[in-house]
Amino acid sequence: MKWLGLILALLAATLAAIVLGPASVPAGELLHSPIFWELRLPRALLGLLVGGSLGVAGASLQSLVRNPLADPFLLGLSGGAGLGAVSAIALHLGGAWTLPLAAFAGALLALGLVFRLGLVAGSVLDPRVLLLGGVAVGAFCGAVTTAIVTLAEASELRNAFLWLWGGLSGASWQTVTLMAVYVPLPLVVLLAAARPLDLLTLGEEPARHLGADVLATRRRVYLAASLLTAAAVAVTGVIGFVGLIVPHLGRALFGGRHRVLLPASFLAGGILLVLADTLARTAVAPRELPVGIVTALVGVPLFVLLLRRWTAD
Amino acid sequence: MRRWASLFAVLALTCRATDRGAAAGPAHRIVSLAPSITELLFALGAGGQVVGRTVYCLYPPAARAVPSVGDGLNPSVEAVAARHPDLVVLYRSPQTEMAARQLEALGIRTMMLRHDRLEDVARTAQRLGRATGHAATGDSIARTIDSLLAPPIPVPAVRIAYVVWDAPPIVIGGGSFLDELAARAGAANVFHDLSTPSATVAIETIASRDPDWIAIVRDSAGAPPPAWAARREWRTIRAVREGRFLVLPADLFGQPSPRAPEAVALMRQLLSR
Repeated sequence: MKWLGLILALLAATLAAIVLGPASVPAGELLHSPIFWELRLPRALLGLLVGGSLGVAGASLQSLVRNPLADPFLLGLSGGAGLGAVSAIALHLGGAWTLPLAAFAGALLALGLVFRLGLVAGSVLDPRVLLLGGVAVGAFCGAVTTAIVTLAEASELRNAFLWLWGGLSGASWQTVTLMAVYVPLPLVVLLAAARPLDLLTLGEEPARHLGADVLATRRRVYLAASLLTAAAVAVTGVIGFVGLIVPHLGRALFGGRHRVLLPASFLAGGILLVLADTLARTAVAPRELPVGIVTALVGVPLFVLLLRRWTAD
Repeated sequence: MRRWASLFAVLALTCRATDRGAAAGPAHRIVSLAPSITELLFALGAGGQVVGRTVYCLYPPAARAVPSVGDGLNPSVEAVAARHPDLVVLYRSPQTEMAARQLEALGIRTMMLRHDRLEDVARTAQRLGRATGHAATGDSIARTIDSLLAPPIPVPAVRIAYVVWDAPPIVIGGGSFLDELAARAGAANVFHDLSTPSATVAIETIASRDPDWIAIVRDSAGAPPPAWAARREWRTIRAVREGRFLVLPADLFGQPSPRAPEAVALMRQLLSR
């Protein structure tokens, strides 16, 4: 029943995304309109893929670091992606794919640094080390980014910041295809780790006693979730709150078992982002809001409701 | 509502430009903290009095010989003071307010200007002309701009959209001097209804407003269409499909300038091709 509700919500959100928009296209002509085929449909599909990726990445990372505050961008990836994008612009690298590729490379660099930090002095990717390492690497990348923006003379850097704040305006069939090919692998890796993740939420020692390979699980989950986030940030910039809120919604509705929680987070993440993007495109038309603002405006009240329920319990 | 609007209008007018510090004769060592102000100072014939500029002040070419003091919107007060100016001209914003106060504390005269629209160019030319000892040239520039703005706006023959960035798509709205330049050149900006200088919009919105031309500001007039023009999602816009790009040179269209009549003439010529 809950699944049916989630799937109906997904269909409704997608339908709203392809029917509503600043351009008025009569319903009868929708299927023949390039606005539908080249703009709204790829944008809705990209929203589902990116929102879903962020939802799953958030759910897995929260379990991995056993911290309900964890967000896919907490572990330094947004800082790395920003540094990559700004460096590409400051170095005057041209080309349509430069910004996404540079952001992806930056995110991978941050990921590698945090991962390496997580293994120093025999640490088994200790959640505390990962969190602190992520915050430190993110802050460092942020500082270097600001230094580049201050010192470089390229006026496009201001616009690079706009891109980093996130949005689905760059959606195209190419980005959809890219994500559709890329996303399944880390998703499967995370789904396969559902059982050890269940055990890990009990704590490291109990998990080990119950037969989980703690280091291998942590390594796989950390890398897969980060790779999902890196791809998301490369195609849409940093979209906040989806990865933080969706896993909590998923747990409230479906419980904490990852075999159920992860697919539910994927669907709920997709729904939230597609709805937020539809609002971003239509609420202040002809202008468009950055979608990250809408995910916060929609997500935070939901989050507050959840918090109230928790504290009431 | 109306009363409030007029009150704000009066406040805006009185706040628009202020001089602080003692006005004692024309300034001889001027630091300009905005590209449009630097251009205007050179146009006034006060280029020889300019002893500091921002890194973005690249027009006229002679301005590049003036030492740079860094950024203009977030200026280094120390770098500005090191040029020993007797007048610092700043673009009015909350950030520059603080810098102006610090400069005054050092005994340096400041002038805060908001220089966004073509009519601002005329008024600024007069004020800067008086402050630098080139009042006659200032008045002459003001007359040229006023005579450009005096006739009624021609009935637009074509519709254009300025696209200044692609990801996210950013267009020029009615609050920008670029909107005025287009109107004077006989082209309607399809985003004239947006009151801000620029705004983020969806590609879909540009497609549905269906401009005849896409205007882009580039470093050189002969530059090819931008790379994004080849992308399928952008080709939902008729003007992009038809390759109708109006490539405008940045030195003439990058800032509100005393050469506005020249910009309008060039735009008219490009549109009549």
